Amino acid sequence: MLRLLLKKQLTEIFRGYFYNVKTNKARAKSSTILMFALFTVLMVVVLGGIFGSLAYSLCLPLEGAGLGWLYYTILGLLSIFLGVFGSVFSTYSGLYLAKDNDLLLSMPIPLKYIIASRLLSVYLMGLMYSAMVLLPALLIRWVTAPCGVPGVLGGIALLLIVSAFVLLLSCVLGWGVAKISRRLRNKSFITVLASLIFLGAYYFFYFKAQDFLQELLRNAAEYGEKIRSAAYGLYVFGRAGEGDPLSLLLCAVAVLLPGAAVWLLLKRSFLSIATASVGTKRTAYRERALRSRSPFRALLRREFARFTSSANYMLNCGLGVLTLPVGGVLLLIKGKDLVETLSAALGPVRGACIPVLACAAAVLLVSMNDMAAPSVSLEGRQITVVQSLPVAPWSVLKAKLCLQLILSCGPMLFAAACAAAVIPGGIALRLLVVASGLSCAAFLAVFDLTLGVRMPNLQWTSELAPIKQSASVMVALFGSWFYALLIGVPYLFLCEFFGPEIYLAAVTALNAAACFILLRWLKTKGAATFASL
Amino acid sequence: MLQIEHLTKIYGEKKAVDDLSLHIAPGEIYGFIGHNGAGKTTTLKACVGILQPDGGEIRVNGTSVRTDPITCKKQLAYIPDNPELYDYMSGIKYLNFIADVFGVPAGERQERIRDYAARFEMTANLSQPVASYSHGMKQKLSIIAAWMHSPRLIIMDEPFVGLDPKASYLLKEMMREVCEGGGAIFFSTHVLEVAEKLCDKVAIIKQGRLIRSGTMEEVKGDDSLEEVFLELEAE
Repeated sequence: MLRLLLKKQLTEIFRGYFYNVKTNKARAKSSTILMFALFTVLMVVVLGGIFGSLAYSLCLPLEGAGLGWLYYTILGLLSIFLGVFGSVFSTYSGLYLAKDNDLLLSMPIPLKYIIASRLLSVYLMGLMYSAMVLLPALLIRWVTAPCGVPGVLGGIALLLIVSAFVLLLSCVLGWGVAKISRRLRNKSFITVLASLIFLGAYYFFYFKAQDFLQELLRNAAEYGEKIRSAAYGLYVFGRAGEGDPLSLLLCAVAVLLPGAAVWLLLKRSFLSIATASVGTKRTAYRERALRSRSPFRALLRREFARFTSSANYMLNCGLGVLTLPVGGVLLLIKGKDLVETLSAALGPVRGACIPVLACAAAVLLVSMNDMAAPSVSLEGRQITVVQSLPVAPWSVLKAKLCLQLILSCGPMLFAAACAAAVIPGGIALRLLVVASGLSCAAFLAVFDLTLGVRMPNLQWTSELAPIKQSASVMVALFGSWFYALLIGVPYLFLCEFFGPEIYLAAVTALNAAACFILLRWLKTKGAATFASL
Repeated sequence: MLQIEHLTKIYGEKKAVDDLSLHIAPGEIYGFIGHNGAGKTTTLKACVGILQPDGGEIRVNGTSVRTDPITCKKQLAYIPDNPELYDYMSGIKYLNFIADVFGVPAGERQERIRDYAARFEMTANLSQPVASYSHGMKQKLSIIAAWMHSPRLIIMDEPFVGLDPKASYLLKEMMREVCEGGGAIFFSTHVLEVAEKLCDKVAIIKQGRLIRSGTMEEVKGDDSLEEVFLELEAE
């Protein structure tokens, strides 16, 4: 039974790799291998590379100082932090809100098996994020300072302990979110607010950690001794990574005992949380005058209602709404210093790149807004409602596009105006910074919607599938990063030949042309594709 | 009102609907019966423009669903077999959304919501999110939404599933009211007793092909509809 449920859970997670929802057919083996290869490249080369370089900078100095355990402690804690951070947003819905709850609970399946299968999803998500830090760290440690079989086994055991600890923390946080959200009215907004506070704390500690690590490397022996005497648990944790059997045993016990408590907590609370009806606080309807709107405005309001109803949707696809204004304000405060630093670093010729780099940075921020990419998939089985209504398919798509344009272009206008206020140059250049920023935001909105139409997935049991795991969102996210590079990097080499005004005008014109082409496709073939979904 | 001419719909290698022709005239309640997978839902979805036919033509008051779907959809309402509504809206917001799309004037929508919600005893629940509704309540909301713009043609897929006896009775009354006003109803059902009592005409579909259609008397003669249906299914 448990094996069956685990298989079902794994099938749901990796369904997109084996099954093409567009054609309703299994993927060819080559296609599946290619998709796994792309995923591996992304995780290992891109994300693993970032943490690998951090590990490399720490490994030799700490090993040289005889503080190998401290290396494992730092990277182990970082991987726990990232693992919890990565999975905390999805734990609540992944554990309790799956659409097949009623189906599974109606069958003669022991509750513990259902919980265990759901935990598998949470575990894999946490493992993926923790391994992104710890796996490169272990490989670098094993290569740069060979440690024999016990060391290798210790490292692997540390990864397992860390992933189990991440699961444990995620479950507790998920349970807490479930308990709180049952008592809240505006759940999605409060979840977003809490998550943003968490996010803010994460980045605060992240930047502080950079200073801390540098300080630590300068005085490694002293800090090592302080940590060992003040927080012996952290020393034991690090020693476990080195393969010390007693430390491994202590760490395993430290995870297993609270793990058992969390398991009991889940077993006792799962049923009441998973089957709690939505909107338990009933308020009787009081008639008010109803306003009439045009069909398009009604469709646009529907998109806003969908977006604001889901904390997952807002957090994963709409953070640019906040990051752009925050970036703009930071530019107004620190912009002049930043421009001076960049001018000094880039030199007199490449200093002309600053407006272009500002535009690329704004693109990176606006890339956090990709709500149009999963919007088609999020229609789910309810897509027949709009398909049966007297509205043109293009109107539905236009409403999805407008949602992203409104939520991206407004903040982008503010951020770009802030950038224009601090960069050196004439009025034409400043206007072009704003224009190019807006054109980039518009292009990304059209591009994301195109992906949404081309890569729909209407068959999902949890909304996290279209929001976090769909091909359209992946391509939208990484595509927009590549797009930011494509805007910023070429001008570093071209700045000797012409000014930033010409380059930014060209970027704006190319964006307009690309928007025109994609919009034509969306109005014709895209609309037909949507109608036939 | 609704003309289905040689409708064919193919999924892969399977013909879900095969050369089906039906005419539903104003004032008629037309029942559509057949076993599971016979092609009823496919036919109804093609009539409302959700599915594109592979062959044949469907017209609503002379307008082709294929070439002018918007004009056709403005004249009809569709209630699917499973009421898939927007969970993230409240009942009143959903009804207002539907009214906006169909361009129902503010005063009229207010009046109709008041009237239909009261009839189905849904008024108190209108401010609740649709996600909190039971299947029956969702079905009632679907019916109210379908009646919002006073459609001339109403197409329903298993409309009585999930409704309590009072709501079923109300729905039947409302179907009669539509037909008395010159509209038409085309609906599928497995409840043969309901079809027998309610419908002016009936069509029986088997493996995508129309095997019998006409007035209730023509189809069943002196037997019950159930006997005729089971006999035809066994052939």
